[in-house]
Amino acid sequence: MAILISFDIDGTMEFGDPPGGITLEMVRRAQELGFLIGSCSDRPPSAQQALWEKHDIRADFVAPKHGLDEVKSRFEADDYLHIGDRDTDQQFAERAGFRFYWAYDAIHEPWLTLGDAQDLP
Amino acid sequence: MPTKVPNAPESWYRTREGLGIWPHRGKVAAVGVGLSPTARRWDGRPETSVGAWSILALRKAMEDAGVSPDQVDGLVMAQDTATGSPWPPGKPVPEDFLTTFQPTDDPLDGLTRLSAEWILQNTPELTNVKFTMYGPGCMSNAIVVAAQAVGEGLTDTCLVLKGWHNLEGRYYVGQGAAAEDTIAGRAKWTTGWGTVACYPTAMHFEAYCRKYGVTRDMHAPFVVNSRKNGLLFPEGFYAQHRPEPLTVEDYLSARWIAKPASLLDNDLPICVSAAYLFTTPERARDMKQKPVYILNHASDRIKIRSVMPTLEETEECAASNARKLYEGAGITANDLSFEGMYDGFGQFHVFHLEGLGFRGVKRGDALHFFQTDISIEGWNPVSPSGGNIGSGRTRFWHHTDAIQQIQGRAGKRQIWRKAEVGVTGGPFPYGGNFTVWGATPG
Repeated sequence: MAILISFDIDGTMEFGDPPGGITLEMVRRAQELGFLIGSCSDRPPSAQQALWEKHDIRADFVAPKHGLDEVKSRFEADDYLHIGDRDTDQQFAERAGFRFYWAYDAIHEPWLTLGDAQDLP
Repeated sequence: MPTKVPNAPESWYRTREGLGIWPHRGKVAAVGVGLSPTARRWDGRPETSVGAWSILALRKAMEDAGVSPDQVDGLVMAQDTATGSPWPPGKPVPEDFLTTFQPTDDPLDGLTRLSAEWILQNTPELTNVKFTMYGPGCMSNAIVVAAQAVGEGLTDTCLVLKGWHNLEGRYYVGQGAAAEDTIAGRAKWTTGWGTVACYPTAMHFEAYCRKYGVTRDMHAPFVVNSRKNGLLFPEGFYAQHRPEPLTVEDYLSARWIAKPASLLDNDLPICVSAAYLFTTPERARDMKQKPVYILNHASDRIKIRSVMPTLEETEECAASNARKLYEGAGITANDLSFEGMYDGFGQFHVFHLEGLGFRGVKRGDALHFFQTDISIEGWNPVSPSGGNIGSGRTRFWHHTDAIQQIQGRAGKRQIWRKAEVGVTGGPFPYGGNFTVWGATPG
């Protein structure tokens, strides 16, 4: 089952400003499960790319926050998730057909219960 | 200490053309510069409050100028420390803040506003301040007031201060008219309906593009260049916290706030304070830094016909402002080594630049001019500070940069050509306060 997770950065990721609750370890775990991961944030795309590289993560995509629909068109997946901390995250996610999780809920890594992820140790 | 600090009298502002050379041209000098660290938002600690960082900036400005606190006899500042970040109603002021500083009768003094009383109570080494006055709103205003005060002999060693705070939460959103049960005045046509702060500027820019047959993407080189310059400003927010350059693609893909103004046309609210030390040329001789002479100041008081200025009113106001600046300084546009007009919203700069006639730019030319070499390495450096786009929302990076450019200590931002005369100011092309700076008294 192909799953794509888009993370907002500020207020969502631990390296955001303000820091959020989603850790790099959570992102790495999702990536190890074969999920497509990346960010859709109000940070400029080139800055998002630099942030992922700085933290030694190969992001599958970076895009402006309002570019979730474009991300969806680029990647075929069974489920699309966006994690964020603002109304605008929810608004853009739902408009693009993504499932939306608030960052404070997403610290429980709900994606781990999706599809093949349930078989992991 | 004065019991009631006044705003500057309206008569101090040079708001009309035809006033001739400014009587104090070259008789006021900026010498010292002091800046606090920057942060995106206040972290709740007393030592990082806007009050604490303003005191730090003042001390750094004195040290930079080589002036002892007891030599300072004047303080000019702006009381407001944000335009869209109010203290949440009912939220208690942190106890440790109240115990760290000497309060005034306003418990939010030092947190979300700054009074001269608070500054002087909490900077006890400033024992000889006899002159205090507010230049409301912006550093641009405070500079004009301080220049006039020194020129008129009301103070001869004067600190000029502006602080900015930014609390957690949304800036501007749900505030002003939108927060009221009923709305009166002009706001009933604008913010009451949810229009955002950049809406008037976006409208002007849309009209501008149609009028002159230009497109928004032609603005991208200015924004990219401004962030590039800002990353060379070690005191700035982006250089300190987000050192990634912008690309044209970043600019063109940013989401709309009010089309054709996007997220990257809007500046990022931050916490920071800046202070300058102004003095007379005679006293400046004994100070540590090279004096930067103030050649003139001018202010706009536009009268508009409707709820907001039209494009044509904006253009004419910017042009009139430039005529005032040049007339009072005894210079022409050809004398400018650089310009540092305001940019927060980015499109302001188009109107400022054309108003100045910088490098012969006429109405409708600015976006074409942005396609040429506007970098600090070229002959036509535009906004060498990077302004708010380059370093965050303060409305003072351009002033700081002008002083440092002319002193020859702008570091990696130093413009390639000799920095002899610069003009700075803001905020609006349809209303603000502006200053001409020179390497010589004129």
